[in-house]
Amino acid sequence: MSSSWRSLLLRIGDKCPEYGPTSDFKDHIETCFAALRRELDHSEAEILEFLLACAEQLPHKIPLYGTLIGLINLENEDFVKKLVESTQTKFQDALDTGNYNVIRILMRLMTVLMCSKVLQPSSLVVVFEMLLSSAATTVDEEKGNPLWQPCADFFITCILSCLPWGGAELIEQVPEEIERVMVGVEAYLSIRRHISDDGLSFFENDDEIERGPGDKDFLEDLWDKIQVLSTNGWKVESVPRPHLSFEAQLVAGKSHELGPISCPSLPNPPSVPSGIANGKQKHEAELKYPQRIHRLNIFPPSKTEDLQPIDRFVVEEYLLDVLLFFNGSRKECASFMVGLPVPFRYEYLMAETIFSQLLMLPQPPFKPIYYTLVIMDLCKALPGAFPAIVAGAVRALFEKIADLDMECRTRLVLWFSHHLSNFQFIWPWEEWAFVLDLPKWAPQRVFVQEVLEREVRLSYWDKVKQSIENAPGLEELLPPKGGPSLNFGGEDGKENNEHVLSGELNSMVKGKTPVREIISWIDESVFPNNGLEVTLRVVVQTLLNIGSKSFTHLITVLERYGQVIAKVCPDQDKQVMLIAEVSSFWKSNTQMTAIAIDRMMGYRLVSNLAILRWVFSSENIEQFHTSDRPWEILRNAVSKTYNRISDLRKELLSLKKNISSAEEAAKEAKSELDAAELKLTLVDGEPVLGESQFRLNRLKSRAEKAKEEVVSLQESLEAKEALLARAIDENEALFILLYKSFSNVLTERLPEGSEARTLRELKAAQVDVMAVDTEEQPSSIMELDDENQRPQNSETNGGKTSSAYNVGEKEQWCITTLGYVKAFSRQYAAEIWPHIEKIDAEVLTEDAPPLFRSAVYSGLGRSINDA
Amino acid sequence: MASLFKDLSKLSAYRDRRFPGNQEEFEHALLTSTTVYIGNMSFYTTEEQVYELFSRAGEIKKIIMGLDKNTKTPCGFCFVLYYSREDTEDACKYISGTILDDRPIRVDFDWGFQEGRQWGRGRSGGQVRDEYRTDYDPGRGGYGKLVQKELEVQRQLVDYGAGSLGSVPPVIPSSYGRHGGGHGHGGNYRHGRDYHRKRQRDDDRHRTREPSKRTSDHESRRNSDHESRLEKNPRFRESGDSDEDDEDDRKRRD
Repeated sequence: MSSSWRSLLLRIGDKCPEYGPTSDFKDHIETCFAALRRELDHSEAEILEFLLACAEQLPHKIPLYGTLIGLINLENEDFVKKLVESTQTKFQDALDTGNYNVIRILMRLMTVLMCSKVLQPSSLVVVFEMLLSSAATTVDEEKGNPLWQPCADFFITCILSCLPWGGAELIEQVPEEIERVMVGVEAYLSIRRHISDDGLSFFENDDEIERGPGDKDFLEDLWDKIQVLSTNGWKVESVPRPHLSFEAQLVAGKSHELGPISCPSLPNPPSVPSGIANGKQKHEAELKYPQRIHRLNIFPPSKTEDLQPIDRFVVEEYLLDVLLFFNGSRKECASFMVGLPVPFRYEYLMAETIFSQLLMLPQPPFKPIYYTLVIMDLCKALPGAFPAIVAGAVRALFEKIADLDMECRTRLVLWFSHHLSNFQFIWPWEEWAFVLDLPKWAPQRVFVQEVLEREVRLSYWDKVKQSIENAPGLEELLPPKGGPSLNFGGEDGKENNEHVLSGELNSMVKGKTPVREIISWIDESVFPNNGLEVTLRVVVQTLLNIGSKSFTHLITVLERYGQVIAKVCPDQDKQVMLIAEVSSFWKSNTQMTAIAIDRMMGYRLVSNLAILRWVFSSENIEQFHTSDRPWEILRNAVSKTYNRISDLRKELLSLKKNISSAEEAAKEAKSELDAAELKLTLVDGEPVLGESQFRLNRLKSRAEKAKEEVVSLQESLEAKEALLARAIDENEALFILLYKSFSNVLTERLPEGSEARTLRELKAAQVDVMAVDTEEQPSSIMELDDENQRPQNSETNGGKTSSAYNVGEKEQWCITTLGYVKAFSRQYAAEIWPHIEKIDAEVLTEDAPPLFRSAVYSGLGRSINDA
Repeated sequence: MASLFKDLSKLSAYRDRRFPGNQEEFEHALLTSTTVYIGNMSFYTTEEQVYELFSRAGEIKKIIMGLDKNTKTPCGFCFVLYYSREDTEDACKYISGTILDDRPIRVDFDWGFQEGRQWGRGRSGGQVRDEYRTDYDPGRGGYGKLVQKELEVQRQLVDYGAGSLGSVPPVIPSSYGRHGGGHGHGGNYRHGRDYHRKRQRDDDRHRTREPSKRTSDHESRRNSDHESRLEKNPRFRESGDSDEDDEDDRKRRD
């Protein structure tokens, strides 16, 4: 019995039933080759397509596929010639469209094909040189456009990335050419600008947190690794080299050549160069060619640095590709993650890589919940090792939480609470009980509090309370247990006026009184006698109370009685009061507060500006550094605004597509009609045949209909475009107000006439030392702890001796708020850039606090010199 | 992203026999739908928990809890409606099989919510799967309905005396939902869970039994409000759910 060639191709290299007990690559290749050989005659096209799909989507198996193709080449040159051509076409397409993943992977495939004697080494060198010359031109101030350095860097990264797979062969076969390429890369590195993407680093780096080795950026670091590799004789443990087992046969193969390939030219620099125009284009380039990974060093070097530097790079590539291609295929994702073809253990590196994606700035390639799922699955797949490593990562990040970027902190809270909810909420909380001794603004304390808050939302209060029983003091940090707070001025449950009114409204709702009657009741008997404040409180609290039982109840009430609320709160000032009322009604339940405000914005009962104004009201400002509550509401409002815009853009895009196909159809109908008419006139003078007339009429009506269709589509396009324009205006107003509000509160609170230009100086402003010794925490009592844990843990603590938290309240308030300034700027940079002129003119003026300005600049990835 | 391991036929392994259309239309509905069905939930899981979890896949438009058609209490399934297709797909990809309230939940594309689909289709009002179960599942009302009935009969034959059921797992009559899922057993850890909003069923019961416990004026006012909502909200309204058939809409899912 033999498995199908498809499953053999797919499963090659895996421990799987298709290949039986053997896990020897040579056996796998022989088995697979034998199967393919039998099928090649009648399924050539299918095999070609599937083989390339496998190589593209399982890039860690590319060496196996390369060898396989080499063997096929010995028997069926023609098939392989087609495969090479097809690869070239795909590669050219990818270059033209900027599809960076395909570019990168196909270059690896070409390298491996070269190793298997399928491709001429000189062809590969030509590709390298083309990319190199494109990159060198790009960063040339005179001839090129250095704003597109991200693309140039990407090309060079691609070249260097091929070397672990084929460096040895290239050096052996084309030493001079490859030497030339290396010299070229070195020259490139000397021209390009070093990247200091402070805005994207996980930690605030003006701190004692040690930065990467010698502060290298990604490309410089890779270059160093390749240098080490070349001095090691190009030996890479993490790259299988199955072609060596077949070398004797493979040398007989005929090597193919690539046809000409061209690099697309990049956009010209802005015609009128200015700081802003340059900044915009640079941002565009960074979005188009994002850096694949920002390395997050969580564990002490001893855990990961027994690897050769290049092995670290290769394994990261493997892991990122599995995450990329197996998103959504849980089982395969986990099994490929743990079963990479490398002869060493890499659990720590795996954890670091996943966390680096989960926390990646500005955005990970997928939603954070994806990485949450991967971590859960790996904990189940490697129950002996991975949970302890995850716990170690959490401890290490918790140690440094005060320096962790605000956006990363939010993601970490969401991830950790979700993760624990899947593992019975088991965590050695007693290790963190010391946060109770910290001031309420200490980031570690706030972190614990927010994790508990999210745990309660995912579960329920008593359950979470139970989970912290080994640190009962932490109950203090649990959110309040209470429900809604109906509160009408009057004390002791006395039936005051507001109670009476509320009761009346309540029975009206119960009695299904029509909305307009309720409105006239308010207009006639409530408002005139009681004034705005009482009316608003009675209406809002009564309705919220009716909708307090669940999310659905809330929606139902808002759907039915939204108009009543709108009547009472017709303008922004009153909407701010409305939000304050919601917040007070749900003061013990942050989730319901956030949901209620979010839904009200959805029904346009409150505007995003009103929400923003409320967030910056004094009761909230006071919580900026101690709670996520105001920030969650602000995040919701901004993201809802953004979602509206992006929905409209999507609709516009599909409308445009429809229009062009409708125009096409109209054109076709028209030309068919014209042709038919022409035919008729040719029958000169003669009476027209009935049938032709009938056909003509039909064509006419079809052409007209097609035209109408175009017109109606164009109309809806215009309508949508108007909506988008409005939404973009709203967005501009939102960001201007957001920045103004930030600027105002920071101006008030940043130390007066402060010389503080950096956060570090800000932190140093407070000297009184809170003696908190985190070193005395008991060593890990993690459920699934292993012996590796302890030394690692003590190392972390030992490495950072003074983790005592001694930042004053005011300073922490500023640091936190500035952190959010940066986070919002970074997350919505693409939406902010188009309005930057106005923001510059109105907010980022000379008078704005320098620390505020630099937070905005850093978030936008804008050089402070470009201003 | 990866197409290699995706088996597209899996998208529609389950066929809701009440879908008004042919297989092709059904598949189309699943491929374009922005609704997910969530199964194997605990009866105690609230909308807010669902909201917290599922909003991590994207902005939620609506949540519809599946209710026992007799008791109008949650019976272990729900629908979540998203605004975008992408978020809907992510919910299926990333949440299915993960834990909510200690249970692995199941998340599937759904062809679209329609009025009436919120009711359990089992004879006793809940989901069909809860009719025939013979295991004891505290998160889903104890034993299956048929076993419960049998136990009820036995209990009538042998008088155990009030409240002393010994080691026998609790016998929960048809209004089980209101009893907080079995006192003294797996279910009772949730007794008094969070607060009334989350524990509406317990709440109602306590209120009728021990009105004195509701001390504050506000509280009882609020509760009577709730009761009125109970009648008014479409989610809780007795409506045209005439189906008496035993077809298990969720057989595949259990």
